Amino acid sequence: MTTWSAVASADWRLSTLRVLKVAALLALLVAVPPLADNPFITTVFISALMFGLLGAIYDLMLGYAGLINFGYAGFMAAGAYGSALAWFHYGVNPWFGLLIGGAITAVLGFLTGVISLRIKGLYLALMTFFVGEALRFSISNTPDYTRGMLGLTVAPFPDMLGISFSRSNLLAYYFTLLLLGAVIMMAMWTLVRSKIGVAFKALREDELATESLGLNATHYKLLNFTIASFLTGVIGGFYAHYLGILSPSPEEFGVPRTVEVLTITYVGGRGSLWGSLFAGFLLIGFQEYFRGLGPIRLLLFGILLIIVMLFARRGIAGLKKYVW
Amino acid sequence: MDLAMYTDPSVLTEILLQGLVRGSMYALMASGLSLIFGILGVNNFAHGELFMIGSYTMFFIVATLQLPFVAGLVAAALVLFLVGMLIERGLIEQLRKRAGRDWLLDSFVLTIGLMILLQNLALVVFGSNRLGIPEMVSGSLIIGSIIISYERLIILAVAALTVLLLWAFIRFTAPGKAIRATAQNPEAALALGIDTMRVHTYTFGLGAALAGLSGALLISIFPAYPTVGLQPIVKSVAVVILGGLGYVPGAIVAGLLLGVIEAFAYFTMSAGWQNVLTAALVVLIMIFRPYGLFSSAKGERP
Repeated sequence: MTTWSAVASADWRLSTLRVLKVAALLALLVAVPPLADNPFITTVFISALMFGLLGAIYDLMLGYAGLINFGYAGFMAAGAYGSALAWFHYGVNPWFGLLIGGAITAVLGFLTGVISLRIKGLYLALMTFFVGEALRFSISNTPDYTRGMLGLTVAPFPDMLGISFSRSNLLAYYFTLLLLGAVIMMAMWTLVRSKIGVAFKALREDELATESLGLNATHYKLLNFTIASFLTGVIGGFYAHYLGILSPSPEEFGVPRTVEVLTITYVGGRGSLWGSLFAGFLLIGFQEYFRGLGPIRLLLFGILLIIVMLFARRGIAGLKKYVW
Repeated sequence: MDLAMYTDPSVLTEILLQGLVRGSMYALMASGLSLIFGILGVNNFAHGELFMIGSYTMFFIVATLQLPFVAGLVAAALVLFLVGMLIERGLIEQLRKRAGRDWLLDSFVLTIGLMILLQNLALVVFGSNRLGIPEMVSGSLIIGSIIISYERLIILAVAALTVLLLWAFIRFTAPGKAIRATAQNPEAALALGIDTMRVHTYTFGLGAALAGLSGALLISIFPAYPTVGLQPIVKSVAVVILGGLGYVPGAIVAGLLLGVIEAFAYFTMSAGWQNVLTAALVVLIMIFRPYGLFSSAKGERP
């Protein structure tokens, strides 16, 4: 437990080599989709980046504060439906809808945090699980408002700065997500390296000791959960307008979806933030690329999760010292 | 809806009976989950997949080999007993050597991995077809205006018998005593010469066998397909929380209670809201009584 935080927060020296490596990876992210100019490659990049980001946000809760949200897909649904319904019923501009999705999910996260104050670990996982499920079933039970299992058709983003956001212009969506992701990652990176981030880690390691040092554990738990939920809601909103159709099926917003994000976080390495991005590209990239293989590709998720729990408890981040 | 219907005794009896049948399925499934949690501290999320293996076993014994239903039930329990012991030795015990104070969460996540693995393995091996058996027996018992199918009555009887046998096993046999001792105080049990590692293994086997038996017994309602376990696992986790994590008698009572509550909910609410009601109930219980409705014997703080 103590080691993976040490690895994550240890030495971040701005050596020239490190700057070059980061620049090279960023250049790959920026250059590959437009150069490949292949809609399939771009979709794979969008999925991988989106799930990598969700994994990183999940890691902000799990890896930095020891909070596990097993109803995560329900929180994604809140963001996605929040933005989509704001457009559908009230004609709210989808760009602004991202913030609405974020705000609604933040409120949900705050309220869930408030009712979960007394519990942690497995019990928090179970509590959030039933919150997520209640939300998903509520969406499917109100077809008059959400169209339920019939599926809600969502508009694409409106054109902005002369750039067309029709869904055939996948590159516009990719670069929007990349920009959004850069902002989110930098914000989380700053947060975990600030005093607040130190408090999160202290909370994860030993809640009682943290409180005895005069830090208000409840306050930091709520803060972490609310921020992570807000960011989840924003990505959820993007997901809605990118995908174009939402339905509250289990695959979309139920257990399988939560497990996908959770696996990315565990495989990426808890408490590493960036590891999730790598895991996102590795797992989702692999999954999308080998769609022809059918269910065998999903077997990989289960096997990897078991391997990480048993043998490689720091995930991809554990490889850092060999390759970084 | 007509208000008089709610006070009609025959309607109430029928709902109550339907609820008890539904509840007995929940109790059977959840007692295994609760037993495993109580002894090993593992909230086995792959329990639904053990249920799934049970329904496949039932299908092959009864539909493919044309053997009687009883053979299918016994085979499912035996197969899952072995599978369960294998899982405990191969995975859970391996994790126990490595995980520290985060055991509860880490073992939970490990079983999530197992869940995905088993689901997709089933998809690769059996495909996504639903393999069902129409019903074990046809016909219904009719008393006055109360109608209940023989099929459901058999389910109720087998579930009740199994729970009774489970209770007798834990209460009166030597291995049962070892299970109780391990649940009360693992270190003391070990010091008194009880092989707690073995207790872990056969307890997991026993819990898995109960899941397999549920899957086999309910095949006319839940046909065998790879993700059939999702619904039963959600219900049994709910029941286990309501009854108090790790407290088997609590799970049985809570299972019956939830069955009756849902039966009334199906009668009074529009379709689909029962799931929301169940989830809301669990959330409320976790807020106000985190140890469950019936205080856990272990009295462990969540």
